[in-house]
Amino acid sequence: MSLSIEERAELRSTARSVLARASSPEQVRAVTAGDGPGYDPGLWRQVVDLGWTAIPVDERHGGAGCGWADLAIVLHELGRALACSPFLASAVLATSAIQQADDGDLARSLLPALAAGELVGTVALAATDGSCDAACSTTTWRADGDGLVLDGAAGYVPDADLADLIVVTAVDAAGATAVVALARDAPGVRVERTPTVDATRRLFTVSFGGVVAGRERLLREPGAASAELAERVRSVGVVAASCDAAGAAERALERTAEYARERQQFGTPIGAFQAVKHHCADMAIAVEASRAATGAAAEALDGDPADWARVAAITSSYVGPACSQACALGLLVHGGIGFTWEHDAHLYLKRVKLDEVLFGTPSWHRRRLADAVFPALGASGGERTSRIRQT
Amino acid sequence: MFQPGGQLDDLRQGVRDWCASRVPEDWRDRQRGVTHAELVEFLRWWGGELRDAGLLAPHWPREWGGGFSIAEQVAIAEELARGDVPRNALFHVATFNVAPTLVHHATPEQLDRFLPGIRRGEVWCQGFSEPDAGSDLASLQTRAVRDGDQYVVTGQKVWTSWAREADWCMLLARTDPSASKHKGISCIIVDMRSPGIEVRPIKQVWGPADFNEVFFDEVVVPADHLVGDENNGWRVAQGTLAAERAVAILEMAERLRVNGIEAAVADVAAWRLEDGRPALDDDAVREQLAESYAQVHVLRHLLNSMIDGIIRGDDVGGTSSIIKVFYSEILLDLMRRLTDLQGVRGQLDAPVLACAGWETGFWMNDYLHAFGWLIGGGTNEIQRNVIGERLLGLPR
Repeated sequence: MSLSIEERAELRSTARSVLARASSPEQVRAVTAGDGPGYDPGLWRQVVDLGWTAIPVDERHGGAGCGWADLAIVLHELGRALACSPFLASAVLATSAIQQADDGDLARSLLPALAAGELVGTVALAATDGSCDAACSTTTWRADGDGLVLDGAAGYVPDADLADLIVVTAVDAAGATAVVALARDAPGVRVERTPTVDATRRLFTVSFGGVVAGRERLLREPGAASAELAERVRSVGVVAASCDAAGAAERALERTAEYARERQQFGTPIGAFQAVKHHCADMAIAVEASRAATGAAAEALDGDPADWARVAAITSSYVGPACSQACALGLLVHGGIGFTWEHDAHLYLKRVKLDEVLFGTPSWHRRRLADAVFPALGASGGERTSRIRQT
Repeated sequence: MFQPGGQLDDLRQGVRDWCASRVPEDWRDRQRGVTHAELVEFLRWWGGELRDAGLLAPHWPREWGGGFSIAEQVAIAEELARGDVPRNALFHVATFNVAPTLVHHATPEQLDRFLPGIRRGEVWCQGFSEPDAGSDLASLQTRAVRDGDQYVVTGQKVWTSWAREADWCMLLARTDPSASKHKGISCIIVDMRSPGIEVRPIKQVWGPADFNEVFFDEVVVPADHLVGDENNGWRVAQGTLAAERAVAILEMAERLRVNGIEAAVADVAAWRLEDGRPALDDDAVREQLAESYAQVHVLRHLLNSMIDGIIRGDDVGGTSSIIKVFYSEILLDLMRRLTDLQGVRGQLDAPVLACAGWETGFWMNDYLHAFGWLIGGGTNEIQRNVIGERLLGLPR
């Protein structure tokens, strides 16, 4: 059952105060410095202890039985705090993938451990060239006896080195999608970090050299049902990354407005100048609209999954670009100091730029949105869709 | 007559059925290219239909024939938009701007005097802007000089919508020239049939002339037409109108969502690019239309979150400025995109449809019309100042 309005407000305020102490910009910088671990194990333990990883998991699997709209609050706050943790990988991506599994045994065995943070999961959705379209996967599978064999590699996999469980999407020679829950330490699985401009996130290339998996590791029957699952996980990812971006942009706005109120030039606070004031107002418009859009999108994830792709595309189309532009304006309003490594303005911009494209570019989502919502296009529309599939 | 307090679904269905039975299917065709007089006649008829159904002013207090909850107002606005009804342009100022201001600031006697008239179909205009007081409204110079139990008003107003048709004007005038500029203004109700008033129409860029200049030459107004305290007119005019504005924009936003973007896509589907390919085969075109589609949906989420705020009793003043800017700019953007896509064909002149939403299918003209939304009701530049100052605490 979803949280009440009061409970959500309480969750938000708890999250904000916990993260203010555990994930301040100084702590984020310490964790992400060259010789640091890249994420904060202490923060992750705290997140688990607070029960946030259990929020979207069903009560029969040891979860809190709340919804995505409740989890969205945590994601927003993690974005605000630039938090470095495998939360997106494990509590969002892996959890939603296993929830969508047709195989009840997988859910029974994996969800309680994911909810309790005893197991860290991640999902390998993208090809090595970054394509998020299941058909473009650079991981292949073939049937072999009772099970299947995986070869190839996936790119841009979050927190793969921490994960005990990697949910992999792959295609066979006929183009059928399979989604497989692999143990990271299965023979033939190799993870290699691909450092990102946004130092608060950790992405990996995961390669598969003849990795053998039993059929019981398939989340669904290969083919359309599995492609649908991959699509849904990607939709959840888009909404989650957008919540993160909205949170980061919100904090960037607050810090920028604070600077514009205090920084004096020409004997007056720069926020009094309309050129600066209007940049700040544009940031506020983007943040307010992104908050509304991500809130509505997260509510939609608690509804009919058939609508998730459309909701995700709307969200991607607006939120990523709007939050990026807000953080870019935030950097500009700070002037010279905003261009320094020492100042935090770039941390927000880098975080939301990655959020914007992690699960497909806004432009790709717009084209998919057009395919989905402009149905009455006649023959040319139909041909158009098939041409996309061929490439 | 629709009544508040029933089942929301019944209200929805009722309004839907009512739209289907009362709105002539060919009204858009019949209203294209009409004269100003024909337009006004049509809008009076449509206002009467809404009034008879109890839908003219659902946001009013119950004792004045309203009493619909915010959720009911939203349902009504949505159904009217989905029903693709004419826009209630002629009575909008009276029902959405004047009446809520009166309810907040007028005496019970004044309410008894003026609200029944609005319900009967009297037209109001707002005398706010002046030639030298646009964005800097508080520098207005029209004077109202107290003389016993009356005021004598002299000055000039501009951009006054429907002033020629108006029975009454809610006027802002300076009553204390010695006070600082925000403090010497009063809000006064002026009978537009008074001697000394001259109204001259102003034709707008998109063709129609629903707004005007209004000249006041020693116009005598009874002193009991003062709304609120003397010299407190600035606050009266600022009013707490956020809720009304939100629902009014909601209807426009919903028109854009359920009719506008759909009509746009259907239109573009019939267009060919200059190389002969169907326009909708082009990725750039598809992306642009999808981006607008997404923006229109985000606008709706923004309105929903503001309405939730109103129901909770939050201060949504800054948010209403955000919504005004967001709506007007995505509207202009969509109209510009459609105009650009249409190429030279879009530049052919055509009869104007003045009483629909802001998307009539004559895209070049809709594009021109859309500028009105960025300028009217406080320019978007002023709205950005409001957002910066009220929401973000930036200095003036």
